[in-house]
Amino acid sequence: MSAPQTSPQPLVSVEGIHTYYGKSHILHGVSLDIGPGEVVGLIGRNGVGKSTTLKSIMGLVSPSEGKITFQGQAITHQPPHKLARLGIGYVPEDRRIFKLLTVMENLRTGLDRAGVEDARKQALLDKVFAFFPVLAERRRQAGGTLSGGEQQMLAIARAMMLEPRIILLDEPTEGLMPRMVSQIKEIIGVLHRDGVAILLVEQNVPLTLEACQRIYFMEKGVVRHHAIASKLSVNDPVIHQYLGV
Amino acid sequence: MEIPWDIILIQTVNGLVTGMILALVASGLTLIFGIMDVVNFAHGELFMLGAYMGVVVLTTTGNFWLALVIAVLIVALLGAAMQITTLRPLLGRDPLNTILATFGLSLVLQNYALWQFGPVARKIQEPFTGQFTLFYLQYPWYRIVIAVLSAAIITGLYLFLKYGRYGIWIRATTQDRVMAQAMGIPVPWVHTAVFAIGAGMAAASGVLFGPLVGVNHAMGLDWVLKAFIVVVVGGMGNLGGSIAAAIFISLLEAYASIWVSPSQAIIVSSIVLILTLLFRPTGLFVPTPK
Ligand SMILES: Nc1ncnc2c1ncn2[C@@H]1O[C@H](COP(=O)(O)OP(=O)(O)OP(=O)(O)O)[C@@H](O)[C@H]1O
Ligand SMILES: [Mg+2]
Repeated sequence: MSAPQTSPQPLVSVEGIHTYYGKSHILHGVSLDIGPGEVVGLIGRNGVGKSTTLKSIMGLVSPSEGKITFQGQAITHQPPHKLARLGIGYVPEDRRIFKLLTVMENLRTGLDRAGVEDARKQALLDKVFAFFPVLAERRRQAGGTLSGGEQQMLAIARAMMLEPRIILLDEPTEGLMPRMVSQIKEIIGVLHRDGVAILLVEQNVPLTLEACQRIYFMEKGVVRHHAIASKLSVNDPVIHQYLGV
Repeated sequence: MEIPWDIILIQTVNGLVTGMILALVASGLTLIFGIMDVVNFAHGELFMLGAYMGVVVLTTTGNFWLALVIAVLIVALLGAAMQITTLRPLLGRDPLNTILATFGLSLVLQNYALWQFGPVARKIQEPFTGQFTLFYLQYPWYRIVIAVLSAAIITGLYLFLKYGRYGIWIRATTQDRVMAQAMGIPVPWVHTAVFAIGAGMAAASGVLFGPLVGVNHAMGLDWVLKAFIVVVVGGMGNLGGSIAAAIFISLLEAYASIWVSPSQAIIVSSIVLILTLLFRPTGLFVPTPK
């Protein structure tokens, strides 16, 4: 598959990975690239392996074949905590807020890194609180008491605490009210302007087309197609082919 | 029948003293279970080794408090080494693997102690021998000091978990190991640290309790059995529940031994355990069973 080249060196490059859960072969040689600061979509029907691709990049499942690089450096079998420190943020589809930790403590899991001064921590907090005022209001509340939309905001804010170079964002708008959806779209824009790359898995096609520069289409554990987002329309036959009901 | 208030008060004090020591042993056990799903059958041996380290340092330095601190540090380091070599490779395997591994460690440590220190029980001299009058009894101050110190150590642990940076790491890892890693928390080292903390707390209980009983290679057995009961009754992995259960069960046993012999009083904790398993398997002091 010939991908339009985006930048001399991709930020993250996935090269032909095969991933298994036990004996089930889920990814059959997935390849994709994300350039620095680029917002890239990954779409496909349920169960094609989108989340598994993100988990493989994050080191949560280990590909048995293939290679993943970050800024040119192989990271294929690195443990997730090292990848987080390198600058990969992860927002899973089930959000996985630490339910018994307060909002502030959830944020601190990413903020309490060696070598981050208090002033910088405060600046990071101010930034997410300015963007998600509701999190500031609930900072002392347990994560598990937040609504679904608030938990999604917290999951994104928590990943932002790592000051990542890329965020792996898995179905952030799933089950959210329209008002929350547009807020998620806005934060993607803010992150993009800040130069943070995003690999976005989404079912919401209009949002994906608007937020992303490029889109990969997945089918049965492989990337089948690849397109520039601005050249696609919501009713494009390609979209029907890979997502159609 | 007339209620013997004086005896009840004395037994309340006794129950609280054993309850606090038991809480100290059990909090390590429950912390370890909560974070890595490991039932540490070697916990009693860490208690026992703590007591022996106390004996060794006390005989060389003559200072009880120094012995306490050094025993805690040595056993904490030993705990870390045990975790890295034996438990870390087994993480995520069937619980049977870790049960067998810790059971094996417990046998090794017991026999090491027997070989190193011999079968004759050693004595730890309490740091002071003052007494106060409790009705018709001369009650040793040292017992009160044990209870207060245990409470202080547990409070310290609580504050560390609640406010410390690494305390937050421990709580996050306990709740969701995978997400904790994805947030950059070095989960394997958090596990090691928690095991070391649990081991250190067991050692502290061993040294503190040493003066009240003899120190021998099998002294961990009784304690770990009771600590297991406490951990189950308090709700596996629930720190507050374990502390409450330790005090509750120790008080019940203390009161029971007013009427029956102490060895029969132990039946009380078994009854509490069975009733808990039957009616509140998630723990007696867990507000809302999940
Ligand atoms: N932990 C697991 N163990 C075994 N099989 C799994 C596991 N997680 C996912 N699978 C299987 O792997 C396949 C791909 O799952 P994945 O979650 O990557 O799909 P997806 O594209 O993200 O789908 P969705 O749109 O439903 O989120 C599915 O068939 C799923 O049943
Ligand atoms: Mg998915």
